[in-house]
Amino acid sequence: MKSIRLEIIQSAYAFGQKEIEELHTKTLVPKMMTRRRLTRAAKIAIYLSNEVSFTGGRIVYGSSFGELEATANILNSITNKEAISPTYFQNSVYNTAISYLSILQENEEELLTISSGDKTSDNVLKVGAVKSLDGDTLLLLVTETLNIEDIEKVNTCEVYLECAVALKVRQTDKEPTIQLSKSVGDSKVAPSMRTMLNIAKQCKVDKVNVIEISL
Amino acid sequence: MQIKNRVYITTSSSVSCAGKNNQILFKNILSGCTGIKQDKEYFLNASPALGKLDVEDTFFNVLLSECQNILDKSQLDNYEETLLVIGSSVGGMQSTEDIYMQTRNYADIDPNMHHIQVISKYLNNTFKFYDDVSFSTACTSSANAIGYAYEVLSKGLYKNVLVVGADSLSQTTVGGFLALGVLSSAPCKPFDENRDGMNVSEAIACLLLETEKKDGSIEVCGVGYSSDAYHMTHPKPKGEGAFLAMKKALEVAKLKSNDIDYINAHGTGTEANDSAEAAAIVSLFPHKPFVSSTKSITGHTLGAAGALEAIISSLVIEQQVLPSNPFLENPSNPDIHLLDKVCKTEIQYVMSNSFAFGGNNCSLIFGRLT
Repeated sequence: MKSIRLEIIQSAYAFGQKEIEELHTKTLVPKMMTRRRLTRAAKIAIYLSNEVSFTGGRIVYGSSFGELEATANILNSITNKEAISPTYFQNSVYNTAISYLSILQENEEELLTISSGDKTSDNVLKVGAVKSLDGDTLLLLVTETLNIEDIEKVNTCEVYLECAVALKVRQTDKEPTIQLSKSVGDSKVAPSMRTMLNIAKQCKVDKVNVIEISL
Repeated sequence: MQIKNRVYITTSSSVSCAGKNNQILFKNILSGCTGIKQDKEYFLNASPALGKLDVEDTFFNVLLSECQNILDKSQLDNYEETLLVIGSSVGGMQSTEDIYMQTRNYADIDPNMHHIQVISKYLNNTFKFYDDVSFSTACTSSANAIGYAYEVLSKGLYKNVLVVGADSLSQTTVGGFLALGVLSSAPCKPFDENRDGMNVSEAIACLLLETEKKDGSIEVCGVGYSSDAYHMTHPKPKGEGAFLAMKKALEVAKLKSNDIDYINAHGTGTEANDSAEAAAIVSLFPHKPFVSSTKSITGHTLGAAGALEAIISSLVIEQQVLPSNPFLENPSNPDIHLLDKVCKTEIQYVMSNSFAFGGNNCSLIFGRLT
């Protein structure tokens, strides 16, 4: 089994029972017309990107359920025989969040979106590790935004309906300092988030943080 | 990009509205026989032309058959050392819609059957894969999947990769594109002055990629990715993002622009996409390679498009024949060499373009074995 080591240059995470608060969207996205179009995941991506001082470069993004609110709104429009909003449709694709981030940052680099169910953050790490072999610094980002009307009818597990993690990484040969695990302490967030959240929580400021990813 | 190994498409299989296998697909492409038909099933007040699969089994059972077909044609005993890479834009959306329309309640929806991973889940229930990952970047999903397969194999990280591009039609996609006002009610006319939109379509396209060439293999020579950083649904008008993806693919493949003999264009038939792509092709390819879009025959199969068009590109190389633009009447850009008839000629390298919502761009280059 091949493995690749990643140094985590900066990390950030956030979660909220219904919503993550204080995303500073007004400050980070001053143009109101742009701000109004952003999905929750896009606002969170912009916030966390700023938290890890990521201003451009390749992004590997992950979300198990993608843009659930836009999808639910379309479904309701169809069921109620109403016109579908073009904005909801354009915002329903899984790569919406990082597309808005790239527009704001004028980032013309590769953007990849992974949706691998419960394995999403594990796969973001694996794909990010593979890409890191090219020698650049990458943003690995995962979000889940499950706070839609009636979500309790289908969600019986997750306490935190919004959760997101950002890791700014590059390939390294240094010894690992962080063990990969899905800790019991993270069980209140969606399984798709747990591995990266666990890593982010183990990162220490002013220390070298390294993980080893097995492919 | 580190390149240790050369990478080959050794086997492929597809089912689309244009054919239930690769041979029928390519025959229909060459004869201009479209699989696109007007349809009223999805919305009573609109009759867009769509590309529906003509199969008697469920979408997921057809998917299993396609992957079994690849295994049977390959020299593999099983998929136990194979990385499965899925590209899909909607995943299990159709089943979510069916349940919600009946019950108007989320309670009966299984979240694990809704998301993109449902495709991999189905396949893993029948075949045991070494590992799997699912990409969802809208209409570039399976092009990105092929690009990733190329990367991991050329870097020597996995033994072989099965790429599956799969998307089924749903009310969400048909209704969504109707809302954007970009669906045509006839087979699309990419690059035509009077083009009036695209045809949404469904397909399953599977390719086995390996580092050892077999008889009939086609080489994957390079991949280029870029982002427009411009708009969620509109490409940059001069095609700068498309230009960048194509340029990067040439760099990875260590080729010059005049090495490309044919471009299988993204060519959806929409006003904005075709003019941007044509502008990018004019800028990067002064030698005017042959260009056509096969979407008037297959429709735009969304997340499956990159994989389906990779198969079409490999058939172009294998059979040394170029598809035309069968519904083209008045080319909108005279500076690109749009094929007006099928052309038998020597073809060494083919580029296949895929572009998506969010300005996500991926260009792939395929080559004949030398």
